[in-house]
Amino acid sequence: MVNALKGILIECDIPMKQFIVSINDQLPNAQKFIIYDLDDTHLFVQPHVADMLQNKVKDFLDKITYEKPA
Amino acid sequence: MSSKRKAAGEAGAAAGASAKGKKAKKGTGKAAEEVTDPVELDEEMPSEPEDDYLDEEEPLEEQGTFNDRDFSKLELKPDHVNRPLWICTDGRIFLETYSPIYKQAYDFLIAIAEPVCRPECVHEYNLTPHSLYAAVSVGLETETIISVLERLSKTRLPEEIARFIRDSTLNYGKVKLVLQRNRFFVESSSPSILRKLLQDDVISRARLSRDDFTISRAPEEAAAREMEKDLLAEGEPEPGAEALEKDLHSFEIDPEQVEHVKQRCLQPGDLCYPMLEEYDFRNDTVNPDLNIELKPMTQIRPYQEKSLSKMFGNGRARSGIIVLPCGAGKSLVGVSASCRVKKSILCLCTSSVSVDQWAYQFKLWSTVKDEQITRFTSENKERFRPNQASVCVTTYNMVAFGGRRSEESEEIINQIKSREWGLLLMDEVHVVPAQMFRKVIGITKSHCKLGLTATLVREDERISDLNFLIGPKLYEANWLDLVKAGHLANVQCAEVWCPMTREFYREYLKKENAGKQQALYVMNPNKFQACEFLIRYHEQQRGDKIIVFSDNIFALREYAHALRKPFIYGPTSHTERSRVLYAFKHDPNVNCVFLSKVGDNSIDIPEANVIIQISSHAGSRRQEAQRLGRILRPKGRAQDRVAGGAEEFNAFFYSLVSKDTVEMYYSTKRQQFLIDQGYSFKVITELPPPDMASELSYSTQQEQLDLLGRVLQADTAEAGEERLGEDLDDIERYRARRSVGNMRALSGADGMVYMEYSTGQPRPMGGRGRGRIPQASRHRIFRNRYGASRR
Amino acid sequence: MDFIRYLSELPPVKLDRLYESHFTCQAVLRSLPPIAKQYVLRLLFIEQPIAGETMRGWAKPEALGKHNAAMERLDQLRVLLETGGKSGKKDASYRLNPVFQQQLQRALSGAIGPPKDPLPPALASHKPSPADLNAYALKQWESLLLFLANAGAPGGERRGDQEPSKMIKGLLRRAGLMGTSDEGGVRISDEGFRFLLMDLYKQLWVVVREYVAEIEDQGLDGAQVTCFLMELGFYPLGEPHGVNRLSSLQKRVVEDLASVGLVYIQKAGGQSCFYPTRLASNLSASLSESSTWQPAEGFIIVETNFRTYGYTTSPLQIAILRLFTRIEYVLPNLVVGTITRESVNTAFSNGITADQIVAYLQQHAAPQIRQRVPVVPETVADQVRLWERDRNRVQQSRAVLYEEFPSQERFAAVVDYARQVGALLWQNPIERRFVASDGRHDDIRAFIRNQSRT
Repeated sequence: MVNALKGILIECDIPMKQFIVSINDQLPNAQKFIIYDLDDTHLFVQPHVADMLQNKVKDFLDKITYEKPA
Repeated sequence: MSSKRKAAGEAGAAAGASAKGKKAKKGTGKAAEEVTDPVELDEEMPSEPEDDYLDEEEPLEEQGTFNDRDFSKLELKPDHVNRPLWICTDGRIFLETYSPIYKQAYDFLIAIAEPVCRPECVHEYNLTPHSLYAAVSVGLETETIISVLERLSKTRLPEEIARFIRDSTLNYGKVKLVLQRNRFFVESSSPSILRKLLQDDVISRARLSRDDFTISRAPEEAAAREMEKDLLAEGEPEPGAEALEKDLHSFEIDPEQVEHVKQRCLQPGDLCYPMLEEYDFRNDTVNPDLNIELKPMTQIRPYQEKSLSKMFGNGRARSGIIVLPCGAGKSLVGVSASCRVKKSILCLCTSSVSVDQWAYQFKLWSTVKDEQITRFTSENKERFRPNQASVCVTTYNMVAFGGRRSEESEEIINQIKSREWGLLLMDEVHVVPAQMFRKVIGITKSHCKLGLTATLVREDERISDLNFLIGPKLYEANWLDLVKAGHLANVQCAEVWCPMTREFYREYLKKENAGKQQALYVMNPNKFQACEFLIRYHEQQRGDKIIVFSDNIFALREYAHALRKPFIYGPTSHTERSRVLYAFKHDPNVNCVFLSKVGDNSIDIPEANVIIQISSHAGSRRQEAQRLGRILRPKGRAQDRVAGGAEEFNAFFYSLVSKDTVEMYYSTKRQQFLIDQGYSFKVITELPPPDMASELSYSTQQEQLDLLGRVLQADTAEAGEERLGEDLDDIERYRARRSVGNMRALSGADGMVYMEYSTGQPRPMGGRGRGRIPQASRHRIFRNRYGASRR
Repeated sequence: MDFIRYLSELPPVKLDRLYESHFTCQAVLRSLPPIAKQYVLRLLFIEQPIAGETMRGWAKPEALGKHNAAMERLDQLRVLLETGGKSGKKDASYRLNPVFQQQLQRALSGAIGPPKDPLPPALASHKPSPADLNAYALKQWESLLLFLANAGAPGGERRGDQEPSKMIKGLLRRAGLMGTSDEGGVRISDEGFRFLLMDLYKQLWVVVREYVAEIEDQGLDGAQVTCFLMELGFYPLGEPHGVNRLSSLQKRVVEDLASVGLVYIQKAGGQSCFYPTRLASNLSASLSESSTWQPAEGFIIVETNFRTYGYTTSPLQIAILRLFTRIEYVLPNLVVGTITRESVNTAFSNGITADQIVAYLQQHAAPQIRQRVPVVPETVADQVRLWERDRNRVQQSRAVLYEEFPSQERFAAVVDYARQVGALLWQNPIERRFVASDGRHDDIRAFIRNQSRT
């Protein structure tokens, strides 16, 4: 029987995928959100983490970017 | 945005530096008797705590919203197009470089304000109490400053600025400490100020006679007058009575009390009159003369001349700091100053290698005879002739060292302490912490102090200390102008972004690998390949001389071994270093050398023209600027270096950065100083070109995984940055990890000394292989994107 | 949007109507690439169709690309019409659009210039100079843009010099440049942000297109308006024209155009006349000609350290700079800003692209740096684009994953279906898994169900 899972498809480059996987890895089992690791550049995750991931990615990129103060 | 107010009188009182003691490290293979002397590793500098980068003064006023300073209400003059600058009420100045009077305006602004950024078209400066202090120190007068600014400004000079200038300079430059015929005088054009000073107990007790003040003629401020003439219109009345002939009043003080008197004058409050120190060397009949001249063939460049004219503007010698980019000839300035003063010279350097260099420079540019110049380092202990003037070149360490010395050293140090030096030359003042200065200045007696440096940038805020320990900034050259004039090489700076491999990045992201992050992003195989590619390209296709810097010793060794190149780091002995450097300089088969942090200061490699950074010290802008300085010395003939010439782009500075890691942050931060001088870092994202990947190391996943394994297994300390005693910027201090040094690794005793390998490949050209490849056959990624050569 | 696109998007009937005005034909001729112009002139007096082969022979072999481009343009504009080709393109023959041809013949051979009106004495003494006209045009046009820019300003509207007319506001809304904000006021849209950074020529045509569409919506003759606009383009600058001989529609158009700055109306002593401004004459100029005239001179310097220095006092230009730079200082004739990751990200989230930002900086470069190569430092341009790339590094889409297909054929069929309806996002045939966008889930589910029944 064909199974249909609702979620979010994430498409990104290899480093970002690594990053998201590492977030997942560091969560306790109950909170892990990756349903399937599809390939190097795709992940299928649970729908509720959309915002959280967006924020985490943004924070991460912010942290490694130096901005000259005003 | 943190800002701290630096009041004038804080300098002496605001010591507060938590200086760390020096660690005397044992080098390898030293004779037993040397044990008590500090070993000549430049790593001995104690460090200062890191503060937020801010070398700007707190703005006078904050108008408008936080992000947006609205000065649109300032009144534009009708002929504003002809005037080159704007000045805002918060002290910010903007200067148009394409104005016809740019040169004079620049000279004026650099004398009265601190540069913030100086790119090609519009410069920005800040007017601060410090910068104004420097201005009056070189002879500019308050009202002149105001009237020249008014003349150059597109808008009516805001009243607040005029007030600010007056207030700031009220107490500056009003009192001088003059050494004349070995007597010390406190001098001022205003007798009332002198009387005020004498109300202080310490000062009044230091006074030698109860007579009236001696009155004498004020010496002519040639340089300042020159500048004013250029900028004031003909017929414009000279401002104020100050410019007219003035008399100087003075009283003599006891030489023993000089330091105390200086201290008293620095106290904030009523007495806040920081004293300018001037040495009337022409009239010094007590100290023996040193008869040295510049050799006739010595050519002084305009900017070197300018800096000297600030120092000797009124015929006396002023103490202060001269800022010139690396490779622009600071030593010649030091030697010239020495030749003018013609008294005993004490020259302080950061390492024994620099000592050798300076000695060499003295002999190169001046007529100093061999017996007139001595070196004092752990390896050379030359005594100088008593009762005769001479030049002594030594290191900060040797002088400031507090432990027990050998008998020989003890003798020489005593000689140094007891002599009255005419000029104290201090090299690389931006590196030396304030505490060490204080010590050195306390130990030695000198009539004039000249600090030489390439950058006033420090990650701490000790600039103000320098100002008051040595003197104000006398002159600062403009990097871009020097490049345009062919005095500095035109460097192409690039940041190469190397993606992390999947496995390395996975490990990097793991929390438990927090201590190995640096090792991981430095040993990133893609970075390795990029480095290898660049080395090949520059060696084989251009015949360049390449230095690769790595602060991280694990990486240094791995890279150097894998690529079969020689390397030098802390434990490498002096003789071995010399051997490698000699080969680098003279052997056509040795074109690439790997250096650790030691390369930052102690090694002079004039002939390199490519630098590759694979790992560097956190966000240190000083280090970045200094490394760039390694290749700034121009090569070839002057005419080749200007736009369109064969040597136009003949120097390359690469920073290899692993993408998506914290290295990106540090890299950008490091570049800020250079970017403010007008340099730009091109981002290269496709190195090495994909078709070449298979020819380079670590191209297979297996090799990469092996490497990863080694990195993960390495000792955390071993895998970290080289620890040369304390790091100069002390950026490490606030980082979470603080590992105990692994002596085995650091001492070199585990057998990893440098090894010299020839690349084994025939050179494409004969001899030194210095031929340049024409543009068309450059590798495609370096071909100038826009066809015509830039600039 | 520009002149050519506008015309080529019109239905053939409307376009032919436009060609009934010789002004339009002349304007079109002017805007053609050189080869196309040549062809038109060669065919001008020839009625019979010419074979495509023959025409191809007119161009040198190495110019084949240009030839094809010219033919395509002429076809697009219905200047050249295909006449009964036998078996496909190869044998086609062409002739000029007869209407076009006739009008052009008239224009080029006769002395049909723009009508000349003697200037009523009351107005003659106050004839505006070309500089006055330019100033007026600039003022009107900029106030329109400024209104739009301020509609996007956070913290409510700042007072502009004048509010644009209802008509203009309507146009802006029509063009999708403005919408209603949550609080009920006007708000600039993403399209509006992009519009602000476009060059003048494109901006004009967006407004014109909406204007003509509006006219037609009101049941009036849009073609007449367009022809009139073309006509204006041929009037010599600075020459007055009376309103009396205009149709009532044209009179209305003149009034409307005045509020936007395309014409200047002068009234005195009961008489009135109008002057077209540079904006009007620019409308139908060829692209290469018009782009050299900017209403305002270039004024921005971009430095290698990401600082921007704008020599301007115009609130509009400052408002535009605020869209993507962090303004640091505002001086009487200079605005100092920095291009930062944050400021650029704000622009991106408003729909502006990196290319637009760089293009804007290039087009408005100050004279002092126009000679620089490149005008905008390479590092700055590259960095802005890199920052844009960074934003899109992680794409998320609501989707459904389908797995556990009993057979390869079943799997392939569903994947095909998903692909056909444009929902396929990812697939892996080996594991028989695929992902499709959420929106089509119902259809896909239905397809799968149907499958299992058969």
